[in-house]
Amino acid sequence: MVISKVRPRSEIIIGLGVALLLVLTLFAVIAGATGFTPKEDIRPLAKFYLYYAINWYEKKFWAASPEAVNSMVWDYRGYDTLYETSVFFLAIIGAIAVFRIPGVKDVFSKGILSGRGLSLIVKTITKLVIAFVLIVSIAIAVHGNLTPGGGFQAGSAISIATLLAIAAFSRIFLEERKITTKLMLPIRVLGVLGIGLLALGPALIALSGIMSFVIQNQPKPWADWGFIPGVGPFWLSGNQFFYNFFEFVAVGAGFTVIYLIFSIPELIYKRVLKK
Amino acid sequence: MTSIVSQALWIYFYITLIGLIAIAVYGIVVRPNLLKKIIALSILGDTANTFIIFLGFRRGGAAVPIIPTIKPTLEELLWFKETAVDPLPQCLVITAIVINMSVTAFLIALAIQLYRLYGTLDVRKAVRLRG
Repeated sequence: MVISKVRPRSEIIIGLGVALLLVLTLFAVIAGATGFTPKEDIRPLAKFYLYYAINWYEKKFWAASPEAVNSMVWDYRGYDTLYETSVFFLAIIGAIAVFRIPGVKDVFSKGILSGRGLSLIVKTITKLVIAFVLIVSIAIAVHGNLTPGGGFQAGSAISIATLLAIAAFSRIFLEERKITTKLMLPIRVLGVLGIGLLALGPALIALSGIMSFVIQNQPKPWADWGFIPGVGPFWLSGNQFFYNFFEFVAVGAGFTVIYLIFSIPELIYKRVLKK
Repeated sequence: MTSIVSQALWIYFYITLIGLIAIAVYGIVVRPNLLKKIIALSILGDTANTFIIFLGFRRGGAAVPIIPTIKPTLEELLWFKETAVDPLPQCLVITAIVINMSVTAFLIALAIQLYRLYGTLDVRKAVRLRG
């Protein structure tokens, strides 16, 4: 097949148009369209969030989390996060659906694929690093409402452990430890279900006559109901701790599924597609 | 003097952003290889995220938007309000990064499947195939 070197004119015009639009937008920002950035002051809305995030003296708008970003992700702008979680869920379902070819199994016995593998040094170091990754990502998840990090970050971090294991050992190493797509898909659904129940729970309470709204965390002037901010020495920030944990589970399992699917050997697909 | 230097640094930063966007748009529009288009798309996404984070930045001794104690005093809160950076862009970007990552994974899945079925990643060849 011959491919002409000359591009269609429409393609060039679209490309130039998009580039011009983006460059003009940036120049407009430099010239002061959004006010000169960076300013020494921030928007009043941001100040509101910063001031009320863990304000013990005016509790009417507080989110009970000392981390302003986390209180925004799971409280003030919770709807954003809910829908972004669903976008994430659907994107991974899309990837799985594209890779579903009848006849391709994603669990192999040792006989089909056998190789020499990497050296002992690499394997030992990878084992250590995987242990560290697991510990650190769980720490990021459960401290999400107190320190930088949260469910999304921890989930992305823990999925790297899978990737390392696939690179240094193989898929079979994971399968022997029961980490398969069959196990990870339900875990992912459980994580998303947890988030959904936590978000809808307050709305169900509203059925009993107490005023509350979807994804409510702390009591508000118009909805006098809320989660307990902390139990004993553990500061949970209401339901934010649980949101972070479920998001961690959902994102971690989701990316693990993606990496497992991507690591199915090309050999298997070729064998099936040739038939 | 320092203000001129810092101004120059900000302009340098803006030019870097423009350059990255230019590279990304070039990659998406001009390169025929699907994999390079995906790489360029993720560069575009990351540049946009950097820009959004930057909009919330604060000149002159900005602090992270986290209070180190659970029971801050009123003075600490007022100080926090006056020094911390805008947390709103950071909140939007952290979700955007993960969505970007999952959408990229989906696009890569599509590209791999395209290659398996048609044996090409070149969009000019792929559009002529019917199957």
